[in-house]
Amino acid sequence: MVLEFHQHVIAELLEEPAGGLVILSSGLSLPKLISSLLLLHSPSQGTLLLLSSSPSLKSQITHHLTPHAPLLPSEITAELTANQRHSLYSSGQIFFVTPRILIVDLLTHKIPTSNLAGLIILNTHTLSENSTETFICRIVKSFNRKAYIRAFSDKPTAMVSGFAKTERIMKSLFVRKLHLWPRFQVNVSEELERNPPVVVDIRVPMTKYMAGIQKAILEVMDACLKEMRKTNKVDVEDLTVENGLFKSFDEILRRQLDPIWHMLGKKTKQLVSDLKTLRKLLDYLVRYDAVSYLKYLNTLRVSESFRSVWIFAESSYKIFDYAKKRVYRFTRAGGVKLNEQSKSITGKKRKLKRVDNNGDEDGGSSSTSTDGGVVLEEILEEAPKWKVLREVLEEIEEERQRQASSRKEFLLEGEENDHSIVLVACKDECSCMQLEDCIRNGSQKVMREEWEKYLLSKVELRGVQTSSKKKKPKEPKGYGILDGAVPVTPAQNSEASSVSKQEHDALLAAASEIRNRGKVDDVAGDNPETYDGSKGHGKARGKGRNKKRAASVQHSGNKDNKNYNKAETKDEPEIAPSGNEGPADDIHSGAVGCSSEGMPESAFVENGVLWKHNQKMDATQLKDSKPLPHVHFYALESDQPILDVLKPSAIVVYHPDVRFVREIEVYKAENPSMKLKVYFLFYEESTEVQKFEASIRRENGAFESLIRQKSLMMIPIDQDGHCLGFNSSSEAQATSSQNAVTRKAGGRKEAEKEMQVIVDMREFMSSLPNVLHQRGMRIIPVILEVGDYILSPLICVERKSIQDLFTSFTSGRLYHQVETMVRYYRIPVLLIEFSQDKSFSFQSASDIGDDVTPNNIISKLSLLVLHFPRLRIIWSRSLHATAEIFSSLKANQDEPDEAKAIRVGVPSEEGIVENDVRAENYNTSAVEFLRRLPGVTDSNYRSIMDGCNSLAELALLPVERLAELMGGQKAAQTLRDFLDAKYPTLL
Amino acid sequence: SSTQATQSRNAILVSHRQKGNPLLKHIRNVRWAFADVVCDYLIGQNSCALYLSLRYHLLHPDYLYYRIRELQKNFKLRIVLCHVDVEDVVKPLLEVTKTALLHDCTLLCAWSLEECGRYLETIKVYENKPADLIQGQMDTDYISRLTHALTTVRHVNKTDVVTLGSTFGSLSHIMDASMEDLARCPGIGERKVKRLYDTFHDPFKRVV
Repeated sequence: MVLEFHQHVIAELLEEPAGGLVILSSGLSLPKLISSLLLLHSPSQGTLLLLSSSPSLKSQITHHLTPHAPLLPSEITAELTANQRHSLYSSGQIFFVTPRILIVDLLTHKIPTSNLAGLIILNTHTLSENSTETFICRIVKSFNRKAYIRAFSDKPTAMVSGFAKTERIMKSLFVRKLHLWPRFQVNVSEELERNPPVVVDIRVPMTKYMAGIQKAILEVMDACLKEMRKTNKVDVEDLTVENGLFKSFDEILRRQLDPIWHMLGKKTKQLVSDLKTLRKLLDYLVRYDAVSYLKYLNTLRVSESFRSVWIFAESSYKIFDYAKKRVYRFTRAGGVKLNEQSKSITGKKRKLKRVDNNGDEDGGSSSTSTDGGVVLEEILEEAPKWKVLREVLEEIEEERQRQASSRKEFLLEGEENDHSIVLVACKDECSCMQLEDCIRNGSQKVMREEWEKYLLSKVELRGVQTSSKKKKPKEPKGYGILDGAVPVTPAQNSEASSVSKQEHDALLAAASEIRNRGKVDDVAGDNPETYDGSKGHGKARGKGRNKKRAASVQHSGNKDNKNYNKAETKDEPEIAPSGNEGPADDIHSGAVGCSSEGMPESAFVENGVLWKHNQKMDATQLKDSKPLPHVHFYALESDQPILDVLKPSAIVVYHPDVRFVREIEVYKAENPSMKLKVYFLFYEESTEVQKFEASIRRENGAFESLIRQKSLMMIPIDQDGHCLGFNSSSEAQATSSQNAVTRKAGGRKEAEKEMQVIVDMREFMSSLPNVLHQRGMRIIPVILEVGDYILSPLICVERKSIQDLFTSFTSGRLYHQVETMVRYYRIPVLLIEFSQDKSFSFQSASDIGDDVTPNNIISKLSLLVLHFPRLRIIWSRSLHATAEIFSSLKANQDEPDEAKAIRVGVPSEEGIVENDVRAENYNTSAVEFLRRLPGVTDSNYRSIMDGCNSLAELALLPVERLAELMGGQKAAQTLRDFLDAKYPTLL
Repeated sequence: SSTQATQSRNAILVSHRQKGNPLLKHIRNVRWAFADVVCDYLIGQNSCALYLSLRYHLLHPDYLYYRIRELQKNFKLRIVLCHVDVEDVVKPLLEVTKTALLHDCTLLCAWSLEECGRYLETIKVYENKPADLIQGQMDTDYISRLTHALTTVRHVNKTDVVTLGSTFGSLSHIMDASMEDLARCPGIGERKVKRLYDTFHDPFKRVV
């Protein structure tokens, strides 16, 4: 069913045959819009190409179009041969194609452009003025004026991120009309609000410690932002805590800092990564359970470098402290009674003692320490939302029951089934799994498992200690230390370090206890035959307890909620029998429940996207009733058309997300007759709420700014004429000849002959080919073995942006690239390209330092220049400057030969590399091989070559002879050892 | 006089033309001395540098060309050390780039006198330094080194290295293997066999 406003969008778009740019609010179902648009395509119009689609968008479009098979777009990939591609391009069908393939095919004239109906560009927000997409549009428009270009974006915030970004993109895409479809647009809001779903907004209070952590993180974040402001590297306006909550904040920073990244001090770089870490911490606070959160913090503490600013901020201490208090705390044995639980804490007290029996792991049981020492008390705070989620599900269930019983008379069972899915949407797949576990096994068990995993990982970190424990599982060594180290009456707060040591020991003791228990189980499971009788008995007992526990949890579960039963999975074979002990009908009724939903379920399990959990009816209670609804867990990150597939009647939005909310609205508008109830679970006064509200605000702000921009936009009426022929390029050439050195060319116009540049296919990721083309050069895309750009038979250029330059120096890539260029070309060139909008220098004078240091870029460049005196370097201010330099360098050179350039560096059958100045005289691969052997250096490889004929001969030389040739005993021994080293045998 | 000679070998020789150039203040990590040299800075036996301020270039656009012509073909490494001291660089830098490139000079840009000085110092200090620093870190364990060496032969991949290693036991045995033995290795086709064999057995120097 097509939404009304989608029809409006399409109608408006079709009014303008040249095309247009559509920006709509996120979540307003762009894939559906595109699919409806594609439905209007007929092969007689010509071929339609879909550009720059993300994989999820692609799959959703395909999903929506599946019923209309003939229009289903297929994909043009690099694997297809040129002929196959050509016939596809002429077929009149719809295709997905990547910009890189398309631009190469356009430049090599493999596309019958006259047969092109138009282009649809998705994800327009990711483009910039010089993207390959704009290059494509220019070429397409120049060959085929009638082809339309329709661009789309559903990320309005990204469309306003730079100065007049939308306008500039529109110009470069040759699009004149801008269509804005915000959520607040009349047609949209009318349609979506006509039959709104029932919304229940549940605000869950955070626990005391969660609130404390949140406050502390925000404080630290603010402190980091203040520091950032001091660096004066980033626009102060952008540096707000609210911005810092969003992922896009990184982009804001990156856009401003990337071009000067090499000039930033360590501290600024650290701040950038700190801010990222802090945002993650905030996010994880509402997503992870207490134990996982603590674990994450601990790994952070280990992995963060000593430079990290935030770890030393005042409030950070609180983050760590509170996080710990959510999980466990220490008390003195025999001290204050701690049985009274604080309001928010649902976990139970548990003290450690020497335990070697398995059964004591039961959640909630507490054992007292026999000695008067530090006692580890587990708190294991549950996420408040867990409980609420359970309550919500119960409520939905009760309502269902009521309705079912009241409507039973006039409703068929099958119908009821279709509407009975409950969807729980959370952010990531990890939370999906955990929540599912929670609902199935009870939250306490989940927390306990996490806690045990946590303790075990602690033990693993201390491999040495545990190895000693392995031998005496019954007397954990850690515990002995604890006994000894803790005095019976410890001085209060006398030594912080000793306290933390006690804590540590206690944790280790707890861990080793769990580990030992696990070990016994493992051994029992792995080789039951070798297990002696008494222990086998113990194991059996343990199993019995397990059963009992599972059964008791089941009972308590039933008490809480009559309709929830514990479903069993294959992962837990020991527990499975306990389920079977219950009424056997259970499983049958479950199977009946499954069968009706079998199709969609299996489809999604395959994708690994969904976790499905059957809430089976307790058959003992309601033997005659229909099966109860299913709960599906859906990860928002997976981006699937879940609503259309599952048709849920109740949705619990566990992690609120604006996009998903809109998707629900659209879903409801498409199915106006359906009853839909939506529950939002927010943490009260949390950044979660703040972020949700801010994202709506930001989107509205973006649209307002776009509306303003639209009213002021200066787009030439004759956009088409602008690009026709080579108007723009000849204009550019005129300026270039003004700027060119006039000595040789004498001011003569170069436009008479078309300049050619051979460009490596991989370079189409960058914008330079586009800019060169704008200048009127002919671009010949090929796969080059050596260099990125071939300007003439003599000149070969390797282009490096500043960032590339630094990384390829470190990796050694640049050295080898230059090495091959020097070998094959007379004028090998390294092009160092700076970014237009950033400073034109490597480092400020004050950063240079007093000494020659090996890691400085000056040192690396000097070394490069010393080793390759023939290497030429071009320092370019910007893309456009590069293009200018290229054309002036080409002014009195021959045009490059395509066929030759491809062959350069690729050895022919005889092993002789063409054009290689050394190849005629040397066995190049042997020389290269030799130079890579240990002990062989730049200074001795020549004498080795003089002294022996071939590598095979070298392999037989005794060490004494090698020492003569290599000028040293040590080097000779190194080489000899390497040659004779025994290759490690495979197992 | 021999001490003087070694001294001059360890120092940058500066042309008298450069007298008064504030750049000299920033050459501190190596010695320098005035001398009668054609270039502005004689850094080593085979390397020299010309200093050019972009501002000066704007006034005297032909200066660089004449200086380069003076150098003749006496040096392996000829550096044009360009001090970028103007705001609007695109046009002058284009001219300098073109002149340097077409007349066999390596252009180095520096944005301050400190940086200019540091380039001269570094080139002197690193005169005889191997290129390890920019060749990338390589794992030093046996397998990586062996892979690094064997993969110089075109189309030989990591899997082939494992095959060769485990078949022949050591590198010297691989290098000594016959064509037949090589061909018996799974995954190593005819062409690879030939390439490997030629690498090992063809003389380093084709024409003696």
